[in-house]
Amino acid sequence: MKIIVCIKQVPSTNEVRMDPVTKTIIRDSRQAVINPFDTYAIEEAVRLKEQLGGTVYAMSMGIPATERLLRDAMARGVDKSLLLTDRAFAGADTLATSYALSLGAAQLGDFDLIICGKMAVDGDTAQIGPELSAQLGIPFITDVCEILEASEKKLRCKKVTDNGFAEVEITLPALITVSKDINMPRFPSISGVRFSLTAPFRSCTAADVGADTERCGLTGSPTQVVRSFTPDRSHKAQPLTGSMAEIADAALKIYEEVR
Amino acid sequence: MDLKLIRPMTEEFAEYLRDESRSVGSAEHIAFPRTQDEIREILKACYASGEKVTVQGARTGLAAAAVPYGGCIVNLNKMNRVTAMRHEGGDYYITLQPGVVLSELKKMIGSKKFDTTDWDEASNAAYVDFCKDGEFFFSPDPTEASATIGGMVCCNASGARSYHYGPTRGHITKVTMVLSDGRTLTETRGGECANGYDAVFTCDDGSKISAKLPTYEMPKTKNASGYYAAKDMELIDVLIGSDGTLGVVSEIEVKLLPLPQIIWGVSLLFENEQSSLRFVDQLRGSVEGVASVEFFDSGALDILREQKKKSTAFSALPVIEPFVNTVVYVELHCDTEEQAQQRLFAVGDAFTAAGGKEENSWVARNQSDLDRLMFFRHAVPESVNMLIDQRKQKDPTITKLGADMSVPDAHLFDVVKMYRDTLKENNLESATWGHVGNNHLHVNVLPNNGEEYARAKELFKVWAANVSKMGGAVSAEHGVGKLKAAFLTIMYGDRHIDEMRALKRAFDPKWQLGVGNLFTEKEGI
Repeated sequence: MKIIVCIKQVPSTNEVRMDPVTKTIIRDSRQAVINPFDTYAIEEAVRLKEQLGGTVYAMSMGIPATERLLRDAMARGVDKSLLLTDRAFAGADTLATSYALSLGAAQLGDFDLIICGKMAVDGDTAQIGPELSAQLGIPFITDVCEILEASEKKLRCKKVTDNGFAEVEITLPALITVSKDINMPRFPSISGVRFSLTAPFRSCTAADVGADTERCGLTGSPTQVVRSFTPDRSHKAQPLTGSMAEIADAALKIYEEVR
Repeated sequence: MDLKLIRPMTEEFAEYLRDESRSVGSAEHIAFPRTQDEIREILKACYASGEKVTVQGARTGLAAAAVPYGGCIVNLNKMNRVTAMRHEGGDYYITLQPGVVLSELKKMIGSKKFDTTDWDEASNAAYVDFCKDGEFFFSPDPTEASATIGGMVCCNASGARSYHYGPTRGHITKVTMVLSDGRTLTETRGGECANGYDAVFTCDDGSKISAKLPTYEMPKTKNASGYYAAKDMELIDVLIGSDGTLGVVSEIEVKLLPLPQIIWGVSLLFENEQSSLRFVDQLRGSVEGVASVEFFDSGALDILREQKKKSTAFSALPVIEPFVNTVVYVELHCDTEEQAQQRLFAVGDAFTAAGGKEENSWVARNQSDLDRLMFFRHAVPESVNMLIDQRKQKDPTITKLGADMSVPDAHLFDVVKMYRDTLKENNLESATWGHVGNNHLHVNVLPNNGEEYARAKELFKVWAANVSKMGGAVSAEHGVGKLKAAFLTIMYGDRHIDEMRALKRAFDPKWQLGVGNLFTEKEGI
């Protein structure tokens, strides 16, 4: 079985810092980690490989430093990696990203399954999985929390729905996105780390994968971010003094001000 | 007593009669001072009335040092401010009231956010430098992060990282103590020293306390047993680790260290305990940057396996395969990622040489994985406490019995053999974890009933005697408090205990402070 796992580099903490001037997320490569949902995708791919045999590829579109995280995936059981890195890819929205990833998947040849995390913790769109499957013309299931049955031909999955769970069967090749309930990601081992540091590594530019640059990066991104800002989470406490009636009046006045 | 600061002991303060050791004491009064002057007032009043005084921090201690044996409780929780910062020779020092909680201190240092109200100009200038400078940390890391700095100073607390950075003592540069009569004494690192075993402490008012220091040779291993005593020693070290028996610590200055750029952890999964000990032996001295070496035996792992099955709170624990008999965790502190890789592989080589297989390891190279390994470490004592609480419901007389003894490196195999043989002979269930790099294991006996509990208590005395013969310490990090006072006598013998009594008497002539801690009062000394 040939499985591709899509991973994204995200900031390591929940406290995402915004650049006050450019209004973009400050990305410090030392602090960057694999998107937590993608770690479950890696684990599920490696488990399927252990069960059915085959090869697991990790793929990412990102800056050159993303190599560190792809190698980390290799330390956790992934066999090979592909990094799509080019200035032409910069500033991509989910449409342009999924286009680039679809070209990357084509580079890796006939695959049976693509696994993505259900969403990235920095963008929270949950769009990449479905859009990638549409670009590739393959079926998909989102929010998979358990693979009930797996073979070279098809998967039977349990997925999270708004009202509970659903069991869905899908014919391969296909794409699934996974939720955190699906497994407990393993730690890398020392031997895994040794392997990951010496394993060959492949990176491709937009030209290498035959990308139409009109569909890449900022140029290929129809999404318009109207405004981004750091939410104001400051709290103020103001003591109210006086008679009950005075306090009530003061409280009402504040209520009117902030309403 | 009519002093407003001292309140009568009523039902609402009942929790202050106990600590984490689950011992319960008694008291007539309680006080919550906010300043050093208030401590002085309280102690002067107690000195006049002759009332005993037991000082408390967060009451997280495991040796009952904060449990009162009558008299007045002086609880320092309200003295929780950072009062100054100093920048000297590239290093940063911060001055704390004793009630500052360790987790809060770590948060303040990590975020570089301090309440600077009332700081003087020099402190504010140092703070400006600190904010612009790199990252720093305070290295002592007892598992219980809700401990107070005052408590940590009183028992010279340690943690996992003490393997590399040493216990609290080495990170304290100044201590001020209020003595039983209300005088204050300040000792600094690099300040007053003993002349041989003769010590003269100069109080802040210029008065002197002359005392003979104990003449025992301290164990050449991790040690929190009794007073620190050595020829020509710095006198600040007498105050650190004095278990609330010499005075009430009212102000502490700590030195911060630069935070290592790279912190990696690795847990090594062994098929048998002997291999794990061979690994530790091999690792020591052969790999640089090792900050901690921790151990979890088969008893501890079995309890974790059960907890993971039973409780959703522990479901995030990694799966511990049946072949795993012992786990050793190694933490590496490094300057660069390349250096961290080299050291990780050196750990792997030592693991292989000891009979391990590198694929049987869990490597943490980012915060999320480090947090998971930390959760594993903390889940062990928590699970054991839950197990004991369950058993306690059947037999309320039992409680957990945890050893805190250490031996020199040469005796690691001997001490583990002693624990294993005697536990087997006595047919006692146990779970062991702790700081194997320092040959310091918390062997916890898990009694099923009162009879087993009594047998285990006797066994601890045997261990104390054997560990002492190996040149070890009966308490390596929890302090002696009240619960291990008998072990201290086993370790040092009556003559040296009398020397300690004499030192205490010089500080506390009416024998009021920390009564029952370390040793009991003896007439004529």
